[in-house]
Amino acid sequence: MSRISLKVTGAQGQGVNSVGEICGKGLKRAGYCVFGYREYMSLIKGGHSSYQLDASHEKIESSETRCDIVVNFNHHGLEQNYADVKDGGILIHQTPEWKFPKEHQKLLDNRNVTVVYLPTEDILKKLKFPPILGNVLITSVVWSLLGQNDEGLKELVREQFGHKGEELVKKNFMCVDEGIAFAKDCAAAAVVLPDADPSWKDHLFMTGSEAMGLGIVHAGCRMYVGYPMTPSSPLLSYLAEIQNDTGMVIKQAEDEITAAQMMTGGMLMGTRAATGTSGGGFDLMTETVSLNGIIENPAVFVLAQRPGPATGLPTWTGQGDLLLAVNSAHGDFARLVMSVSEAQDAFDLMPEAFNYADVFQTPVIVLTDKHIAEALYTQAPFDEKKATIDRGNLVTDPKKLAKLKAHDRFDSSAKDGISPRWLPGSKAEPYCAQGDEHDGAGNVDEGAENAVQQMEKRMRKMDALKTALPEPQLLRVAGCELREGIDTLIVSWGSNKGVILDAIEGMEGVAYLHYSYLWPLKTELLEELAAKAKKMILIEQNYQGQLGMLIKQECGLEFDQKILKYDGRPFFFDELQASLTA
Amino acid sequence: MKIPLDSKGVSMHDYYTETQCSWCDGCGDYGVWTATKRALAELGIAPHNVLLCYDVGCNGNGADKINAYTVHGLHGRVISLAAGAKLANPELPVMAFGGDGASFSEGVGHFVHAFRSNYPITFVLHNNANYGLTTGQSSSLTWQDQAMNTAPNGMPEHTLNSMDFVFSLEPTFVARGFSGNIDQMTEIFKAAIQHRGFAFVDILQACPTYNKFATHDYLLEKCHDISGDGHDTSDFAAARALAVDTSERIATGILYQREDLPDFYERLVPRQGKKTTAVDEVEIQSVKGLCKDFI
Repeated sequence: MSRISLKVTGAQGQGVNSVGEICGKGLKRAGYCVFGYREYMSLIKGGHSSYQLDASHEKIESSETRCDIVVNFNHHGLEQNYADVKDGGILIHQTPEWKFPKEHQKLLDNRNVTVVYLPTEDILKKLKFPPILGNVLITSVVWSLLGQNDEGLKELVREQFGHKGEELVKKNFMCVDEGIAFAKDCAAAAVVLPDADPSWKDHLFMTGSEAMGLGIVHAGCRMYVGYPMTPSSPLLSYLAEIQNDTGMVIKQAEDEITAAQMMTGGMLMGTRAATGTSGGGFDLMTETVSLNGIIENPAVFVLAQRPGPATGLPTWTGQGDLLLAVNSAHGDFARLVMSVSEAQDAFDLMPEAFNYADVFQTPVIVLTDKHIAEALYTQAPFDEKKATIDRGNLVTDPKKLAKLKAHDRFDSSAKDGISPRWLPGSKAEPYCAQGDEHDGAGNVDEGAENAVQQMEKRMRKMDALKTALPEPQLLRVAGCELREGIDTLIVSWGSNKGVILDAIEGMEGVAYLHYSYLWPLKTELLEELAAKAKKMILIEQNYQGQLGMLIKQECGLEFDQKILKYDGRPFFFDELQASLTA
Repeated sequence: MKIPLDSKGVSMHDYYTETQCSWCDGCGDYGVWTATKRALAELGIAPHNVLLCYDVGCNGNGADKINAYTVHGLHGRVISLAAGAKLANPELPVMAFGGDGASFSEGVGHFVHAFRSNYPITFVLHNNANYGLTTGQSSSLTWQDQAMNTAPNGMPEHTLNSMDFVFSLEPTFVARGFSGNIDQMTEIFKAAIQHRGFAFVDILQACPTYNKFATHDYLLEKCHDISGDGHDTSDFAAARALAVDTSERIATGILYQREDLPDFYERLVPRQGKKTTAVDEVEIQSVKGLCKDFI
């Protein structure tokens, strides 16, 4: 696969994101598939951050460890990121009279790196422009070194600054021209991109959080309650930002328990509501997860993972909360744990999550992680014909409502444990959504026989759910027939999907089995494939190999190799490729 | 006065269930339970047209003792649950019931933010100044130095001045009742249900088994209905003073009310002018327009 990469580093608040966003969108519009990856620290200003863009004419959803162009806003980047440049790459900086330490210079020389000093301050002084305009100047230099023309960039600049008046647009255009002139005269030759593919132009360039937000809106969810916690905050912020368009009830609650309870109340009343948090906040929500289990209330919790324990690595990524989701909350009850993996299914799986919650009248936990939440994907326009709304055994017809008896609500003899549900305000016999063990109408019943019947009723839903869930997806088999003669079967979940698919591209005899639905865990296809595979590899971003643990627990299967990463960084495509071919 | 036990419209009988009450003899919960049914019936609200939300505690054991849509949730969380339900369907009256343990210890955060948010719900505080259901531990409203289950030498912490606290939160509706006065509670509940915003109703109630200090007789003696006193319920300072000073007598009735402030739902810009509720709107929503920002 032909791909190029660009990394911008600098202090948080210095404009790193602005350069990254413009270049990312611009490259997408120029006909490339772009994947954006951000690293930053848990503070507001000053921390070292980076924004990386990988681009190809083919689909990519991963980052490379080294880049063709590295731009450093300050000397910290020169110290920390000098080794991120590929052989023959370009390192741009704006630190006057910078000298690399000997060792660093040697490495750069060995790699034939062209170091370019961009005198941003001097250029801006000459133009009598304030320092803030430096961002567009830098963007323009990078843009030119990517071999792109000024028209696309100027269009983006106009979109971004047009509302601030023509004067500012003009000044920015002057910076664009200066940047082009500088790039032309500098020692570096432009990076050669593969030929553009115009089919990317109509794609969306968006984060996983934005895709998930749109998926939530699309699913008919009318209420979202959250409490800020990275990496779930971008979802709350996005849904808040678009609230006047969507008409949704958006509430920033006083804590995660409130958020979970308000979602529960909204669902109980009959709307579709969701809440979202990260691991620590989810710990606080778990008692409410349990409540929804016994009152048989649909509930949707988004759990955006970051590495723990405790505050852990708050702005980094990980997959250490799978077992938390599966085992959270006290008591036995039916639940669904599922995970999105990129923008596409962050959108597609949200209507599914709400449907499963409605149909099985039980909590659904949707896992995502910092990588999905904040990475930028080049996403095909969403197909709005795919999703449907399935509210399961929800009774709204007045004639049927009139026939209902209160005892039908939690009728323990219901097929698959799924009894009719009707909403407060419905003209029918009312019931009690009872957190104590109860009879069919929700009246407290501590009798032994009733306790057994009700437990078995609720747990029958788990069996029905397992039957209803799709098997994991066999996503790509390069060089061999489906299901036959697989040399290596990779098993993974969540955000690893994109990088795995990028890494195994072209590898002979490698198949990838991707789990979106993680609990209850289906293992039939896995076992079938495992019997045919010579080697089984588990890939996860946690220490224990948590999906591997679940698989072993459910079917006894063990992996030949485990590629586990728990440093807060996602897998990089070349890194994973090396691990797979080692 | 006509008690709507059986009437052509909604009657108290409609709220009757066969489930038997499990409260102790003389428990204040009977009074609150009766006044709740009566207030709903007098307002003409049918059992299927209301959501009653119960915390965990003795009051919560009443969740299945009344024929209405009810929910019996978690300890301390009832206000959040009720608020979420109300925002989903503001057309349905929503009442929440919780004890002093739930409201001033476990769920005090929710309590504070309910005032800030001015959710359009009624909250009835079952104030018996102890944890009854767990057999008589001290709450933050137990009198200091009272010997309680887990404080045999007397509760060492000082007693929270609940009304001063409530008034510091800039409430829009504060009332106080006594579980022995069903007529008065009925009137208070009716006003609370109709209030624009968060209605806080503090019901002082007897706990004959565990509360040996503020007994039914004590409350009967001390509680004083202020409705005939010419108290101006819009006078914040006077209401606060009346509520806080219980040295001579305990003022009961509607102490404070203002309805010039919009409630939380009214303040939600995306909901303004909407004829439907969030419950009505569950359908596939197109995101085509929103996607334009990402091209």
